[in-house]
Amino acid sequence: MQLLINGRHHEIEHGDEPLVWVLRDELGLTGTHYGCGIGMCGCCTVLLAGRPARSCQITAAEVGERPVVTLEGLAERDADGAVVALHPVQQAFVENPLQCGWCLPGHVLSAVALLARDPAPDEAAIAEAAQPNLCRCGGYNTIKAAVARAAELARDR
Amino acid sequence: MGVPVALEYGRPSLVRWMLERGTGPTEIPESSLVWFELTRDGITLHVPKIEMGQGIHTALAQVAAEELRVRPEQLGVVQADTARGFPAATLFTFGSTSVASLYTPIREAAAAVRSMLALAAAEQLGTETQQLTAADGVFQVAGTDRKLPYQDVIAAHQGPWQEPAEPPVLRPAGEFTSIGRSVPRVDFRAKVLGEAVYGYDARLPDMGYGAFAVPPRFGARLESAEAGDAAGLPGVRQVVIDVEAGFAGVVADTRTRAWAAARALKVTWSEGTRVDTTALEQQVTAGDGVVLRRDGSIRAALSQGRIVAAEYRTPMAAHAHLEPLAALAKVEPGPAGKVEVWVPTQSPESVLEDLHAALGEDRPVVVHVTQLGGSFGRKGGQHLAVEAARLSAATGRPVHVGWTRDTDLRQAFYRPPTHTVMRGSIGPDGMIRGVEQHSAAGDIIWAVAGLPEPVRSLLGFDPGGLLGLFLPYDLPAYRLVNRREQLPVPTGPWRGLGLMPNTFALESFFDELAEAAGSDPLTYRLAHLRKSGEQGERLRTVLRTAAQMAGWGESLPPGRGRGIACSGDVGTVVAVVAEVDLSGGRLRVTGIDAAVDCGLVVNPAGAKLQAQGSIVMGLSSALRESLQIRDGQVVSDNFDSYPILGMADTPPVRVTFTGGADVPYGMGEPVVGPVPAAVANAVHAAGGPRLRSLPLRL
Repeated sequence: MQLLINGRHHEIEHGDEPLVWVLRDELGLTGTHYGCGIGMCGCCTVLLAGRPARSCQITAAEVGERPVVTLEGLAERDADGAVVALHPVQQAFVENPLQCGWCLPGHVLSAVALLARDPAPDEAAIAEAAQPNLCRCGGYNTIKAAVARAAELARDR
Repeated sequence: MGVPVALEYGRPSLVRWMLERGTGPTEIPESSLVWFELTRDGITLHVPKIEMGQGIHTALAQVAAEELRVRPEQLGVVQADTARGFPAATLFTFGSTSVASLYTPIREAAAAVRSMLALAAAEQLGTETQQLTAADGVFQVAGTDRKLPYQDVIAAHQGPWQEPAEPPVLRPAGEFTSIGRSVPRVDFRAKVLGEAVYGYDARLPDMGYGAFAVPPRFGARLESAEAGDAAGLPGVRQVVIDVEAGFAGVVADTRTRAWAAARALKVTWSEGTRVDTTALEQQVTAGDGVVLRRDGSIRAALSQGRIVAAEYRTPMAAHAHLEPLAALAKVEPGPAGKVEVWVPTQSPESVLEDLHAALGEDRPVVVHVTQLGGSFGRKGGQHLAVEAARLSAATGRPVHVGWTRDTDLRQAFYRPPTHTVMRGSIGPDGMIRGVEQHSAAGDIIWAVAGLPEPVRSLLGFDPGGLLGLFLPYDLPAYRLVNRREQLPVPTGPWRGLGLMPNTFALESFFDELAEAAGSDPLTYRLAHLRKSGEQGERLRTVLRTAAQMAGWGESLPPGRGRGIACSGDVGTVVAVVAEVDLSGGRLRVTGIDAAVDCGLVVNPAGAKLQAQGSIVMGLSSALRESLQIRDGQVVSDNFDSYPILGMADTPPVRVTFTGGADVPYGMGEPVVGPVPAAVANAVHAAGGPRLRSLPLRL
C-alpha cells in the first residue's frame, strides 16, 4: 500500500502497524516521536488531512489516502530537499525554544492546525489547542509565547 | 581534515569550594578535557557535557566564544564522545554542576586556542601578536585595514601549533559580548525540523528491533526461559536466552513484533517483593537515627515556650521524561569485537562499565551520546545499551531497543518517599527558641552507586538526602536526627534529589511557626536570617525580591492567598511566592514569582527556561504526582494513571535573577526546591487547611 506523506507517495510494507512506527522505523521519519502509546502525551502528533492526530492511535492502513504531514514536512525546501525557509511556527519555536524538544511534534503541529483555522488566536484559543500535548520540561508559558509569535510571523508573510 | 587541540585543566576551585560547603553531591572529575577542533570551516567545540534539554551546549559554546573572540553562532558545536578519546567520566552530566565546573576551564582553553591562532596569524601577516586585535573570528593588524579570518589562518598553517608561553589573560566581565546574552539555542533548529537524533531515533542500515522479558515484580530474578511461542511469531528473527545473565530477548523486523514476541517468551521468575505504596511509606518513618546536627540545648529549648509540632510526607515519584529509554548497539563478531552504542545517557561511564562487565573486558567500547528527550536524573543509572548489545552480539547485526511507556515507568527507579517530624518552641519575644527535626527517606545516591552497606549504615545518611535537609535559619537550638531506609523497590536521583521533599517539610513548618508567633511569614523568615552570613544575606535578597514581584502584603479577595518559601542548593539560592485561588472549591495556582541568585548568568533566556521548568515540575509534584505500587509493581504506569501537569493548570511564572557574583552556580535543579511549600503555605493563607503531604489535596 501507499501513503501520502509530506507531499510524496511512499510504498509501505507494514500497513497493520501503528502509523508512528511506520513513519519512524520503516521510513526513517524520526521527527515524529513516541511518548506514551495511548494518545495522551501528543509526542507522536502528525497532521492527518490537516488536523492534528495521534499517530500511535491509528494504523497506516487506516490512514488510507488522507495526506499526512510530519515535522519534517513543514519547512519550505528546494529541489534537493535543502531548507529554504522554516515554517512560521518552526521559526517561532526557534525564537522561543523549549528544552529537550521531544514534545515538539505535538506543540508545533497543533499550532500549525490552529493558525490554519484561526490566524489570530487569543491566549485562550492557544491554550486550548496546546492543552492535549504534554511538556515535561515545563515550557507551557514559552509555548504560548511561541504560538502567538507564530501568528505574527504568519501574518507578515 | 580536523586538527584536534586538547588542553587539560585541573578541577576548578569553585567546585571544590561548593563541595566543601556541602551543598553538592559527590565526585567531580579530576580533569576536564576541553577540545576545540580547528578546520578550514572554522572552530568546533566538542562539548564535554550532555544535552538533555538544559541548554548546556549553548551555554558552554557562549563561554568558549567569549575568549575565542567569535560570535557564538560562528562556533561549531558537537557532543563530545568516547570515540574521540574523551574520558567517559568527564562527560558525566549531573548535579547542576556543568556550567559552574567548566566555566573557567573552557575560558582558559579557548583563550589558549585564540593565542595559538594569534601566533600563527602574526607569522602569516609578518607582524607581532601585540599588534593584532581579534573580533568575530577575524584578526586585524591594529591601525590598519589588514584582516585575516581564523579560517584562513587555519588553512595556511603548517606544522604543529605553538602553545602560548604564559596562560592567556581572560577578558574582564565588563567587556563580555557573549557571556550574559540570551543567544539562540544551538540545537533548536534541528529539533523543530525533526532532524535531531535522540536515543529513540538512532538508526543503522539493516538494523533489527529488540525487546526482552522484564520482571513482573521488583526483585524478581529470571529462573528459566525458553523461546515458547515467540520463535514462531511473524517477523521474529532470533530468540536470545542467557538465563545466567538474567536475559531473555528477541530480535524482530519491526518494533511492535519484537514487543509481542518478548511477551510470548516462556519465562519464570522468582517471587520478588509483594510490597505496596502504603507499606513503603510506613517503612519510611522518622524516629531513631543518626544525629547530623546539634546546636545548643534542644531539651532546654523545648521544655518551655509555645510548642508547635507537625509532620510531613512526600510520596514516591517518577521522572516521566517524555522520551522513553532506548539504545542502539552494533557489536562486531568475536570475543574481542568492537562494541559501539548510541544511547541517551547522562553517564557514559556507567554505560561503558556495564558493557564491559556484560560483554567482556577485552572489547573496545565506544559510547556515542545522543540528544536526550528529558531525563531529570533518570538517564544516569539504568539504560538499554547492554540489552541492545547482547542482542546485537547474538544476531550479528545492529539492534535498537526502545521501551514502551509502561515498561519505562515500571522498570525505573523513583524519588523515594520522605517523612519529617518537626517540633519547635517559640519564646516570649516571638522568636524561635529551638527546633527538633526527625527526617527519614529512602536512599538516593546509595541506591544507585557508592560505598559498601556497612559504611553507609555507619554514616547514617544518604548524600542525596542531605540536599535541603538543614534549616537555613539562625536558631539558638537545633537538633537534626536522620534516618535512611533501604527500600525493596529501586529508588534514586530525581531532579534536586532530597531538595524538594525536604524543603516542603522545613518551609511548611517554618510557616506554622510564623503563624504560631503571630508573624508575617516573610518578616519571620527575614528576622531569622539575621546572622546567617553570606548565605543568609543572599536568601534575604531573594525573599524580598520574590515578595516584591508578587505584591506581598497587598490584600486579596476571599479564597485567595499567597505563600512564600526559600531554599539553597549547589551555591544557588531561590525564593518562590505562589498565589492560589480556592474559591471554586478546588485548588488553583494562579501565579508563581521566583527570585533566583545563581551567581553569574551565562544565558538569561536559557536560565529562565531552567527556572520555569523547575517550577512547573515542582507544581506537578505538588498538585498531581504520586507513584503507586501494588503487589510489588508500579500500577501508575502511563499518563492516565500517572498524570503530570498540563498547560491548563500551569499559571504564569515570573523569574528574576538577583545574582551579582562573577562566577556561575548551579541552575538545573535548585529552583524546584521551594515550589510545593510555597503552594501549601498559600493554601493555608487563603483560608484552606494546612496541607502536610504531597500531592496537595483540599
